[in-house]
Amino acid sequence: MLYSKVHIMQKEQDPLNLGSLPQISPPDDDWPVIRDALVQHQKKRRFTRMAFSALAAAATVTLAVGLFINQPVVSPAPVSVDSPVASTAAPVVNGERTLDSLIALSQQMENRVRTFRTEVGGMPTDSLIYQVELEDLVAQVDFELSVQPDSIDLWSQRVNLLLDLSRLYQNQLRRDYHRMASL
Amino acid sequence: MAKTPFDIELDELTLARARRGNMDACEQIYRLYRQPAYSVACRVCSCRELAQEVTQEAFITAFRKLGQFRGDSPFWGWLRRVVVNHSISSLRKSPKADPVELKDHHASSEASADRIGLAMDLESALSVLAPEDRAIVWLHDVEGYNHQEIAGLFGKTESFSKTRLSRARSKLRDLLDAPSAMGLAQSALAN
Repeated sequence: MLYSKVHIMQKEQDPLNLGSLPQISPPDDDWPVIRDALVQHQKKRRFTRMAFSALAAAATVTLAVGLFINQPVVSPAPVSVDSPVASTAAPVVNGERTLDSLIALSQQMENRVRTFRTEVGGMPTDSLIYQVELEDLVAQVDFELSVQPDSIDLWSQRVNLLLDLSRLYQNQLRRDYHRMASL
Repeated sequence: MAKTPFDIELDELTLARARRGNMDACEQIYRLYRQPAYSVACRVCSCRELAQEVTQEAFITAFRKLGQFRGDSPFWGWLRRVVVNHSISSLRKSPKADPVELKDHHASSEASADRIGLAMDLESALSVLAPEDRAIVWLHDVEGYNHQEIAGLFGKTESFSKTRLSRARSKLRDLLDAPSAMGLAQSALAN
């Protein structure tokens, strides 16, 4: 009974029984090529990570200085000798603001990237590889953020990566637009 | 019941090692899924050279993005999606690929003469179809993709997928019912 039901469903799904065709054997062993590409990728990734860390540190300093200059100085709460919390609370304000604004910026960028992703059609291989690498890096930063959620360094890296992704999509949209316009 | 790539056993330890970039684990996964991946690419692209390139690229992408595989579904389902995405992308770039040659299929088959004959007829009929039609009928009928998924892959509407599937099936039926017509069509293709 069950067998015949399954059989009927298979018949509907594959009426010409194409699934009965045998698998095709690959001609060559491509593992050496794949391994080389992966090793290259790992090296490049390590280098990119180091470069991003340096860039992120620079961006964080710039952002922090910018915020410090533009924000009105928060007058520290009157320090009471009896209150040990008050003495540590005041200096954190700018750090917290930096973190909050980075998180907000990251959310904005993520929404932007999401919108672009639905609008962009097929991408050329080189852009696709770059997109995959960027998404890979975002995923990695996300993983690291799950361990250190308050790291300004990691949040700035995330913002920078999303900015690059958004630029990539924008370029593709521009290309799509020109292609459509030329038709 | 015939074994499918979904039945291939991949242990968690190998997967975890591959996620961390261990090359031995990646090689192990490659060797397990090399044939089904190439086979799907070959069916969708209808060209052996292109399928080989696609399989390479798909494995590279899969190993790079392995961290995104959550492990809550069979690994082959995830890998197959990567292979199919790469195949469709290549098909869109070079839609006029050479059909898969039949002689290799002959050599690999160990079934009875009748089954070989039927398989040959099917292969011949498939090779006459337009590349997009062939890819659609294969993805729907064999790989179990639905119209929404196929439409998404081709960047078209569901009705595009339905129309092309119906057209492809009807053409395949005609070709299988009239082998002489298939011979004519094939010789026309060869010329």
